[in-house]
Amino acid sequence: MKSERNARLRSRTRKITALAALGGASIAGLAVLRRRAGSLRVERGLAALRLAARGGARYASHAPQLFASAGEHREALRNDLALQTAEDVATTLGTMKGVLMKLGQMASYVDDGLSPAARRTLSRLQDSVPPMSPELAAQVITEELGRPPERAFATWDPEPIAAASIGQVHRAITHDGRAVAVKVQYPGIAETIEADLGNVALLRRMLKITAPSQDVDALLAELSERVTEELDYRREARNQQMFARYYEGHPTIGIPGIVAELSTRRVVTSDLADGARFAELASWSQAERDLAAETIYRFVFRSLYEAHAFNGDPHPGNYLFHGGGRVTFLDFGLVKYFTAAELRPLVEMVKHLCVENDPEAFRRAMEDAGFLMPDAPLPTDMIVEHMAVFYDTVRERGPRTMTGAYASAVTRRFFDFRSPLAAYVQIPRSYVILQRINLGLFALLGELSATADWRCIAEEIWPFVQGPACTPIGAAEVAWSSGRAVRRR
Amino acid sequence: MTEPKGRSTAEDAAGLVERSAAAYASAVPVRPEDDGFFGPASVTWRVSADLSAPVAGLRSLLLQALHPLAMAGVDQHSDWRTDPVGRLAATSAYEVTVTFGDRAGARRVAQRVRAIHTHVRGVDTVTGQPYAADDPALLLWVHAALVDSGLAASALFGTPLTDADADAYVAEMTVAAELLGVPPEMIPDSVTALKRYIAGVRPELRRTPAAAESMGYLLDPPGLDEDIAELWQDIRDAAVTALPDWARQMYGYPEPPPLTAERRTEIRQALGVLDAVFLGEPGVLEARQRLTVRTRSAGKV
Repeated sequence: MKSERNARLRSRTRKITALAALGGASIAGLAVLRRRAGSLRVERGLAALRLAARGGARYASHAPQLFASAGEHREALRNDLALQTAEDVATTLGTMKGVLMKLGQMASYVDDGLSPAARRTLSRLQDSVPPMSPELAAQVITEELGRPPERAFATWDPEPIAAASIGQVHRAITHDGRAVAVKVQYPGIAETIEADLGNVALLRRMLKITAPSQDVDALLAELSERVTEELDYRREARNQQMFARYYEGHPTIGIPGIVAELSTRRVVTSDLADGARFAELASWSQAERDLAAETIYRFVFRSLYEAHAFNGDPHPGNYLFHGGGRVTFLDFGLVKYFTAAELRPLVEMVKHLCVENDPEAFRRAMEDAGFLMPDAPLPTDMIVEHMAVFYDTVRERGPRTMTGAYASAVTRRFFDFRSPLAAYVQIPRSYVILQRINLGLFALLGELSATADWRCIAEEIWPFVQGPACTPIGAAEVAWSSGRAVRRR
Repeated sequence: MTEPKGRSTAEDAAGLVERSAAAYASAVPVRPEDDGFFGPASVTWRVSADLSAPVAGLRSLLLQALHPLAMAGVDQHSDWRTDPVGRLAATSAYEVTVTFGDRAGARRVAQRVRAIHTHVRGVDTVTGQPYAADDPALLLWVHAALVDSGLAASALFGTPLTDADADAYVAEMTVAAELLGVPPEMIPDSVTALKRYIAGVRPELRRTPAAAESMGYLLDPPGLDEDIAELWQDIRDAAVTALPDWARQMYGYPEPPPLTAERRTEIRQALGVLDAVFLGEPGVLEARQRLTVRTRSAGKV
C-alpha cells in the first residue's frame, strides 16, 4: 500500500515537473496551480502542457537526422524540402504545430529532468522545420521592405546561415556597406499561431482544472501573450536597440546594432556578428570559460538592476564568444521591463538575506513581493532554509564554482511541491520571466563549470552596495560606466 | 487492412501511437521501384496525407463493423483480443504500403492478406449465415466503407475535395479492392455509384454484440497514455459526427451537437497535436520527407 502511494506520489511529482518543462508559460501556470498542488485534479490539467513538451521533445529528437538520412544528397534534399509557399508554411506549422514548437522552445530553457544533452536537443527543435526556399524568403523581403532583396541590399546571400525563431537568418551588405544579419519570418506563421491561440478551446479543455475560470484564463492569457510577443519582430528590434544603446562601449558585452530602416514586423536587420558558439566553449580553457561566464553574469544582473530590463532568453544559441570574456548577445525577442516598484522587493530580499542577515525582514520582503502568503504558519528559519539555495552563490565572499548539480538543485527546489512551503509560495505574474532566466542562467553557468567570486561581482552591481571592482572586467566596467555618465551629461 | 477490428476483454491500448508510427515509418518505401498504383499526383495520396486521416480510419472501422459477416470473421479469427494495438498497426501498415508502396510491394502485401483470408471461414452466430473472408461481397463492403470515410472525413475536418476530385478518388481506389480479389465490374467508380452501393447494402447491416463490444473498445481504448486519451476524445467525436445518421442510430450513439466553426477548429487542433506527437516518433519525419520529395518532383507542391 505504502509503496503504491509512493509510486503515485513520484508519478505526480514527475508530472508536475513536466509542467516546469514549459518554462515561462508554465511558471505562470505554476502560480495558479501551486496553491492546489494537493489536489489530484491538477494532474489532469497538465495534459496539454505535457503533450506540448512531449510533442516538442520528440519533434526535436529527430532534428539531427533531418537531413542526415540523405547522405551525399543532403543539399539536394534540403532544397527539395524547402518551404516554397506560404501554404507550405501553414501545412508544416499550422494547426497547433507552430504553437507546440514555441512551447517546446520554452521547454528547452528550463527543465530539471533534462540532461544538458537533452536540453541541447530540445533547443534544436526548430531545426526540424525546413528552411524557406530562396524565392519564398525573397518574397517576404519584397513584401516587407517594398523591394526585392537584391535591391533592398547591396549584396544578398540567398542561402540562409541559420534557423531563427519562426524564421531564418540571411547575410547581406547594406547600400552603405554594413555587413548585416537579416532575420526573415516565415510568411503566415504569425497569423497561424495567432489563430491557434485565438481558439483556445482545446487548450482550455485540456486545462480542465476545476479552478476558478479566471485562473485558467490568466494562464492562457500569459501563454498567448508570451508567444504572441515574439511574433512581432518590431518589438524585438526596439528591445535590442535599447540594450545596444545601454551597453555601447562596454569592454566585454556586445550587442549588434539594429538597422531600423530595414526592420519591420517580419524582418529584422542588425549588424552581423561572428564568434564561437556555446558548444565550442567546451574546447576552450577553463579560464576562458570563467571569463565568458562572468560577462554573462554581469550582463544579466546589470541589465536588471540598472536598466530595469531582463532579456528572458538564456538560450545557449543566443551568445557568441570572442575570447577574453567578450560575449555578443543575440535575440531580444522576449524582454521584460520592470518598474521600480516591481524591482524593489527583489532588491530588499537580497539585501536582507545576504547583506544585513535579517531573516524577519527577508520574510517580510518575500511577502511584499507576493512570493509568500502573509501569515503562513511556518517558522521563519524554515523559510530561510528553503530559499537559501537560490542565494547560495552570493551569500558569502570567495570563489565558487557553478555546477550542473547546483543548477539542478536550484530547479528542483524551485519546483518542490512536497515542501511544506509549497502551499504558501507562489510566483506573481510580473516575476515569471525573471524565474525563467534565473533557472536558465544557473543551468548555463553550471554547464560551463564557471568559477568566480560571484558575491564580489554582485556587490559591484547591487545598488545598495556599489562595491569596488574585484576583477579585471569589473575594473574595465568602471571606466566604461564613468564614460557613460560623462556621455549622458 | 480490410477488416474491421473487434474487441472486448482485450488487452489495453498502450503504445497505440508508437506502434502505428513505427508501422507507418517502415511502410513508406525508401527506394520504390515505381510510383505504385496511385502516385504522387493522385487524389488518393492527398486524402491519405490529409490531417483528417485518423478520423477517416476510425469512421471506416465503425462502418465496416456494421456488416455482421465481416464482423464475425474478425471476431472469430483475428488476434485483436490479445494484441489490439498490433492489429491496428498492421492494418495501417497495409494501407500505407498499398497507397505509397511500389506495385510489387502492394501486390506482395495483398497476396499475403488473400492467403490469410482463405482460412477465415465460419458461421456467424448472430445471423446463422456462413461467411468467408474472400467473399467479394464482404471485401467490397470493407473497401466502400474506407473510401466513403476518406470523403466524409476530409469534407468535414480536412481539406474538402472538389466534386471532380471526389469522383477521381473513388475511381482511383478501385484498384485497392481489385488487389484483394474483388471483380472490377463490382466496384463503384464514382461518388454516385458508391452511394448507391452503400444504400443497397444497408438492409444487411446491423449492430451485432461483437460490433458493439469491439467498437466500444475502439472509441474508448483502455490504457492509452493520459495525454493521448485526451486527444482521442476529439478524434472519436469527430468520427461519430462524420458517420451517416443511420449508422449512428444503429449503434445507438446520441445525435452529435451541430458542428460549429469553433468545434471544427478544436477538432483540427487536436488532430494537429496528435500529428505532432506522431511526427516525433522515430522515422516518421523521414518517411514524410520521402513522400514530400516524391510529391514535389511530380510537380505538385
